[in-house]
Amino acid sequence: MTAFLQIQAIKKQWAHTVTIGPITLDIARGEILALLGPSGSGKTTILRLLAGFEPADSGRIAVAQEEVTAVPPARRRFGMVFQHYALFPHLDVGENVGFGLTGAGSREHGAVDAKVAAALALVDLAGYEGRKVNELSGGQQQRVALARALAPEPRVLLLDEPLSNLDPSLRERTRRELRQVIKRVGITTVFVTHEQEEAFDLGDRIAVINAGRLEQTGTPEELYETPANLFVATFVGRANVFRGAAARALCGSSGTEDAVVVVRPERLRFAPTGLPGIVRERRYTGAAAFFTVESETEGGGSDRFEVLAEPNAARVGERVHVQATRAISL
Amino acid sequence: MNHQRGSQLAAIGLVLLLAWLVVYPILIVALDAADTTALRAFVTRPGEWAALWASLWISLASVVLAGAIGIPLAFLFEWFDFPGRKTLGALVALPVVLPPLVGVIAFLFLYGESGFIARAIQATLGLEQAPWRLQGASAILLVHAYSMYVYFYLFTRAGLARLDVSMLEAAQALGADRRGTFWRVIVPLLRPSLVGAAILTFMTALGSFSAPYIFGGGFRVMTTQIVATKLNGDLPLAMVETVALAAVAVIGLLLLRRTEGDDILVALGKGIAPRPRPIRRRGVRLLATAAGWGLAVVLLLPHLTLLLVSLVPYGAWTTEILPPVLNFENYRRLFSEAERLRPMINSLWMAAASTAVAVAVALAGGWLVVRRRVGLRRAIEALLALPWALPGTVFAIALAITFSVNAPFQLRFVLVGTAVILPLAYLVRALPLTGRGILASYRQLDPSLEEAAASLGAGRWRTLARVTIPQLRPGLAAGASLAFVAGLGDIVASIVLYTYETRPVSIEILSSLRLSETGVAAAFGVVLMLVSALVLGIGARR
Repeated sequence: MTAFLQIQAIKKQWAHTVTIGPITLDIARGEILALLGPSGSGKTTILRLLAGFEPADSGRIAVAQEEVTAVPPARRRFGMVFQHYALFPHLDVGENVGFGLTGAGSREHGAVDAKVAAALALVDLAGYEGRKVNELSGGQQQRVALARALAPEPRVLLLDEPLSNLDPSLRERTRRELRQVIKRVGITTVFVTHEQEEAFDLGDRIAVINAGRLEQTGTPEELYETPANLFVATFVGRANVFRGAAARALCGSSGTEDAVVVVRPERLRFAPTGLPGIVRERRYTGAAAFFTVESETEGGGSDRFEVLAEPNAARVGERVHVQATRAISL
Repeated sequence: MNHQRGSQLAAIGLVLLLAWLVVYPILIVALDAADTTALRAFVTRPGEWAALWASLWISLASVVLAGAIGIPLAFLFEWFDFPGRKTLGALVALPVVLPPLVGVIAFLFLYGESGFIARAIQATLGLEQAPWRLQGASAILLVHAYSMYVYFYLFTRAGLARLDVSMLEAAQALGADRRGTFWRVIVPLLRPSLVGAAILTFMTALGSFSAPYIFGGGFRVMTTQIVATKLNGDLPLAMVETVALAAVAVIGLLLLRRTEGDDILVALGKGIAPRPRPIRRRGVRLLATAAGWGLAVVLLLPHLTLLLVSLVPYGAWTTEILPPVLNFENYRRLFSEAERLRPMINSLWMAAASTAVAVAVALAGGWLVVRRRVGLRRAIEALLALPWALPGTVFAIALAITFSVNAPFQLRFVLVGTAVILPLAYLVRALPLTGRGILASYRQLDPSLEEAAASLGAGRWRTLARVTIPQLRPGLAAGASLAFVAGLGDIVASIVLYTYETRPVSIEILSSLRLSETGVAAAFGVVLMLVSALVLGIGARR
C-alpha cells in the first residue's frame, strides 16, 4: 500500500500534562479512516493538526509525498466539515458552497455557478442555491457543509463528528448517504467520532485513540476479533473480561496465573460444565436476550458478565455453567 | 375570553397614554410650524441652513471619528493578550460615566485656552497668549470623538465575542487568507454591530447640545440654534427649526437602517469565540502595553482634571500652572448651602421618579407585547422606541409648547413651570432605554417559568414579584440605570423647561461657570460622575 496521506510521529503538547502523540498513520488514496476514541482522548486535536489549525510540536504530515506540515490551512487544500457546520449565516447556500471557489483564481462566474450546482447536486440539494442557511433542517445544513468542503476539490476531506448534531433517527440514513457521496467522489477522508457504530459503518479502517495515543489501527473485523489490548477490547464492542481462576475455568487449564481473557457476550454459551454462576438479570432484545451472570469462582476477575443467547436459554435465579466458543487472550 | 378583553383594554389604554406623551406634542409642533412667516424666515436665512448643514456633517464626522478610534481598540482588546489587558479593557469604557455636560466642562478645564495643557505649553514656551482656543467645529468633534467612540468599542467587542471561531477556520480551510477572512467573513458578521454603533453615534451627535453650547461660539448647530431662537422669544421659528431637525434625524435613521440588512445574529449552533492571542514578540508587546497605558491616561485625564479643579477654592488659582491651594471647600459649600444642595436633590428625585415610571410602563408594555401578544403590540413597541429616534431638543420644545396651554378638551394642561414637566421630559427620554432592556429580557424569559409559578399556587402579583422581575433583572437593571443616568445628567430638556425652583444640577453647573465658580461647577461634576458610575456599575452587574 502506498500511503497517500502520511502522518509521521506527529506530536502536540498541551500545558505540561496533556500530550497528543507521537502518532504515525498511513492512509491510502480513497480510504475512509475513522479516528475513534472517548471524549477528551485527543482525536479532534489530531484532526485539527491535519487541517493545520494547530501547529504540531514535532513530526511530519505529507500528502502525495508533498510535505504540508508547515503549510497554513488556507493553502493546504484539505476540506473540512465542522461539528456545528460553521455555515456562514450572512451568505446563502450557493454563496456558502461557492466561498472556496471564488478566491482561488477561477474568476469566470459561469464556471463557479456550475461547480456550485454540481456540488449541491452531489449531496442531493440541487436548486437550493438561493436558500438561507438558517432555514435549512439540521440534515440539510450538514449536506451543505459537505458540499462546501468538497466544491474546491480538496485533496483530503476531514470531518469532525459529522453526525453528532443530528437526531438519532436521522443518523443511520445520513451515515449511509455520507459514505456513498465520499465513495463516489473517491476522496481520501479522515473523520472523528466517539461512537463505535458510526466508525464501523462509515470507516474503511479505524484508528482507536486513547489519552492522546494511538492504541490500534485496523478494519472493524480486526479490532473486534483481535484487539491489541484491553482498552481496544472493551471500547470496541461489548466485552467480558476474565482474570485468573475464572479465565482458567473458561479456557481450560492452559492460562497462567495473571492471564486476562476477553470474551464477547455472543461467544459465551450455557453448557453442562464450565464456569459456574447464577443468572441475575435478563434483558430481552427480541431476537435474543442478554443474561447477566454472577460468577461463583473465588477470586475471579469480574464478578458479573453478560451472555447473549436464545431468549429462553435460562431463567433469572437459575444456576448455570458457561463456556466460551472463542476467547481472546491478552 | 374575559382575560383577553382585559388585555385588549389595557393595551388600548397604554397606546393612548404613550401617544399622548410622545406623538401628540410632536404633532402639535408640526401643525404649528406650518406658519408661513416663520417658514419664509427659515428658508431665507442663511444661518438656518448653515446650522442644519453643520448638524448633519458634525454628526457624520463624529461617526467616522468614533469608529476610527473604537473599532481598532475593540480588536486590540478582544483579540490580543498583553499585560494589563483586562484592567485597560474596562478603563477604556470610562467616558461613559461622564454625563455630557460634565465631560464638556472637563475638556474645558483640561484642553481649554486656560486649561492645564494650554497653561503648561504656554509656560514652557514662554508664550504671551494661550497656544490655542478650544472653539468651533474641531472642539465639538474632539469631545464627540472622546465620548462616542465607546459605542463603537463596546458594540464591536460584543460582536467579536459572538464570533464563532469555527467560522474563521472554515474560511481558512476553504482557502481564504487573512485578508480574505477579514473582509468576507468577519466584517459581514460584524456589520449589525457596526451599523448599530453608527446609528447610536449619529443620533447622539445629532442631539448633542452641551459641546456645541459651550464650545460652539459663533458656530451653530441645530440644537443650539433652536434653544437660542426660543430664548429670543421667536416661538414659530423655533418650531420650524425643531421640525427641520426632526426631519434630519428621521431621514438619517432610515438611511442608516437600510445598511443594517437582515438580522443575522441568530447563530447556527453554538460557537466559541476566538481566544485572545498573546503577543509573542517582546518589542511589539512592550509597545502594545505602553500604548495601552498611555491611552488609559489620556482617557482618564478629563476625570482627574475634574477632580483636581473641584478641590480648588474660589479665587485661589490665577496664573500658576498647577493650583496652589487644594481643599474640600467647594464640597462643603455644595452640601451645606441650601441653595446649592437643592439642585442636587432636584436632579436625584426627578431622575428617580422618571425612571420608576419608565420601568413600570416598560413592564406593562413587555407583558402586553410578549406575553399577551395583543393586537396592538407593534404600536406599543414603536411608541416605546420613538423618542429615541428624535433629538432631545425636539421633545423639549414639543413639551414646552404643548403643556403651556390650558385646554383640557384637547388634553393640554399647563405643566410648564410646575415640578411635573421636567420628570415628564426625562420620562420621554427614558422610555426607549427601559423599553428596550425589558422587552429583550421578556423575550428570553421562558413562559413555562411563570406557568410553573402559577401551578404552584402563586397569584399574578406574587408571580410578577418572585419570578418575572427577578428573571428580567439584567435587562431591567441595565435599562433603568441608563435611564436614571440620562435624567441625572440631562441638560437638553432642562435648559428649555426648568424653573428656578426645579433647576437641576446641569443648570446649576452652567450658572456656576457663568459666575466663574469653576471649583463648584467641577465639584457638581464630580458628584454627578460618581453617582453615574455607581448606578451604571449596579446596572451592569449580572
